[in-house]
Amino acid sequence: MLSAIIKRNGTSVPFDSAKILNAVNRANKAVNAEEMSPTDLLFVTEKVCKRLEAENLRHVEEIQDVVEDVLIKYGYAQTAKAYILYRAEHAKIREAETYLMDIYKKLTWSPAQEEDIKRENANIDGDTAMGTMLKYGSEGSKFFIDNHILPKDISAAHSNGDIHIHDKDFYMLTETCCQIDLIRLFKNGFFTGHGYLREPNAIESYSALACIAIQANQNEMHGGQSVPNFDFALAPGVRKTFVKEYHSAFADYIQVKTECSPGEALALERKIYSAVGPEMDMGARAEYAAGPECALDPDLLPLARKAHAHARDQALRRTDRRTYQAMEAFIHNLNTMNSRAGAQVPFSSVNYGTDTSPEGRMVVKNLLLATQAGLGRGETSIFPVQIFKVKAGVSFNPGDPNHDLFKLAMETSARRLFPNFSFLDAPFNLQYYRPGDYNTEVAYMGCRTRVIGNVHDRSREITCGRGNLSFTSVNLPRLGLEAGGDIRKFHALLDERVDLVFRQLLHRFKIQSSKKVRNYPFLMGEGIWLDSDSLGWDDAIEEVLKHGTLTLGFIGLAETLKALVGAHHGESAAAQELGLEIVGRMRERADAEARKTGLNFSLIATPAEGLSGRFAALDRKKYGLVPGVTDRPYYTNSFHVPVYFPINAFRKIKLEAPYHALTNAGHITYVELDGDPSKNLEAFEAVIRCMYEQGVGYGSVNHPLDRDPVCGYVGVINEVCPRCGRREGEGVSPETLKTLRGKYADVPPWK
Amino acid sequence: MLLDTEKNSLKTRLSPRLIGEGTKFERTRRITGYLVGTLERFNNAKRAEERDRVKHGV
Ligand SMILES: [Zn+2]
Repeated sequence: MLSAIIKRNGTSVPFDSAKILNAVNRANKAVNAEEMSPTDLLFVTEKVCKRLEAENLRHVEEIQDVVEDVLIKYGYAQTAKAYILYRAEHAKIREAETYLMDIYKKLTWSPAQEEDIKRENANIDGDTAMGTMLKYGSEGSKFFIDNHILPKDISAAHSNGDIHIHDKDFYMLTETCCQIDLIRLFKNGFFTGHGYLREPNAIESYSALACIAIQANQNEMHGGQSVPNFDFALAPGVRKTFVKEYHSAFADYIQVKTECSPGEALALERKIYSAVGPEMDMGARAEYAAGPECALDPDLLPLARKAHAHARDQALRRTDRRTYQAMEAFIHNLNTMNSRAGAQVPFSSVNYGTDTSPEGRMVVKNLLLATQAGLGRGETSIFPVQIFKVKAGVSFNPGDPNHDLFKLAMETSARRLFPNFSFLDAPFNLQYYRPGDYNTEVAYMGCRTRVIGNVHDRSREITCGRGNLSFTSVNLPRLGLEAGGDIRKFHALLDERVDLVFRQLLHRFKIQSSKKVRNYPFLMGEGIWLDSDSLGWDDAIEEVLKHGTLTLGFIGLAETLKALVGAHHGESAAAQELGLEIVGRMRERADAEARKTGLNFSLIATPAEGLSGRFAALDRKKYGLVPGVTDRPYYTNSFHVPVYFPINAFRKIKLEAPYHALTNAGHITYVELDGDPSKNLEAFEAVIRCMYEQGVGYGSVNHPLDRDPVCGYVGVINEVCPRCGRREGEGVSPETLKTLRGKYADVPPWK
Repeated sequence: MLLDTEKNSLKTRLSPRLIGEGTKFERTRRITGYLVGTLERFNNAKRAEERDRVKHGV
């Protein structure tokens, strides 16, 4: 009798024939025929044991081979088949587990510099404890989703690179992103899950609470957080600050001039103020000057008039300064505050530029100035992503009330890469716009997400309280390679792939829908998501989630066109025509699915950070090196003209603009400018105006932005720093730095 | 950072004390709409993409 067997890992354990019996029994139960009695089971087990002994077989794989043989030999063919399947299944799981453990080993012992997996997302530091912990969770979750949740064909389509399910690790948990209406949230205060915060009363607390809201929401979602109406939302903070500053300066003036007590000064200030009537604000401050004339005791008039003039100017100055500091703190906080257990800062975006009130304008002006100044040592701030809304009649043209801010925004972007620019007059954005209602102004989230149309509720085609639920991208170049120049075949393949993606998005939506308000104490519990305030703590969120978008994405249009017709859209007009046809077809499919389901199916020009490399690598393995398609380590972003293709900026914009109209779930166009555009603002403005004219929805200008941490220089640094003259790695003498410090304000301190 | 490590002490004695030796330039770039403070945090494919980018004339 066999005494011990050898396991797969080489260790030896006591032999137990009951294990064989149980395995055979399990296989037999799985088929509807060949019913085996306990005696039959014992018979088979005994035959197996005898043969193991006779042939001196001890390894677990050998034992399993014998079980198969014996089952077949004694006429249990179907049971044998079930047993083989069971073996294969377990082998697969074991293999996958080994795979997962290999990943964990990489995460644990390799520095991020060497492991791409630790740099999938450039804004997570994969070398830190919490960054690694996050990756353990993420990789373990992906394994679980692949092996236990996803339908087999969908799981296979993802792993072989036909499609890419974004944020798959969050499949069972939450949604992508949300556009937060701070105005609504701040009213009457809110609860963060850790503490209750009162309605803010000054610009500093507005700024701080905005950060906290973004942070709290980020912890409940896997994508970014956006404020679609930042200027409107923060303006009340400026207003409250101004009013307080005004009254205090007024009273101070009276106290000094009449040499009375602080209490008397305050009483007199109150008396004058109540005689005047309407509440003071920055916009009404000019009219207010005339106010005291009519209602006051004539003896007090001269004093009141002087006090008013003093208070008005003083309050304006102080409010301006405090707003600047609040915006500085806002940026600083969003670049340093933790989310996701400290591995990340929140992915935040703020949209602004259409509030023409003096308070809203003060917010934007100071946010831009603080952005220009940079962080503590003059570094460029990475967050929030800033988006300036361009609109004729508001900001676009000379004479528009916010034209000065538009100019300042371009100047800031030319220096610091932010803000980006959104174009409310692009026809597909303009159709929602109603003057004076920020909720109808398109906003963009972070990388490019756009949420405004709403087939679920046509009366709620608005930005606030809505976001993307999930998105999945199609590997377009692979379809191009499969079709081999046959356009009809390509379209048939594409249709099939799109069907798969829709099925998967709905599968995920079902899971998301089953969640309860209590799973999202902030997002739903505080009523940030549209209509969630109508739900109870234990209600499912399905109905309100329908305001969100289910999104189909794509990358590599350029490589697809190369595969299909040998040229991309930058190279040939026919390719451009075909490109528009392909993307147009995907949009038609999304629209049709939206009509069919009443859900917001939509099309996004996928931001492909990790994906561009993943698809390209898989396809190179599968199809070899195909010139123009798989010969680079990345696929081109969405519908972009390839980055390596030399093309004039205006022509690039012209070629990409029509795709913006088709991609209703988001899009962006970049232009790469040479040198330091802050020294050539005309060129910068020409690019932005061209985007406007061509019907781009969202665009921005890239340019090299370098900084020397030693002397604080910001701009283009080639080999030698233009300010201090050092090369990378070289030092600078203390005397040189001292001289520079006399010349420039932003030379950082060195101990 | 002062040059007070042993490795640098010889150099420091030989030449006037220099500030910032060994410090790299920071290069901020945009990928997929987000800015990244240093190219070192890009993944391999994106590094290649960044390298390939050509400027667009205006
Ligand atoms: Zn320098």
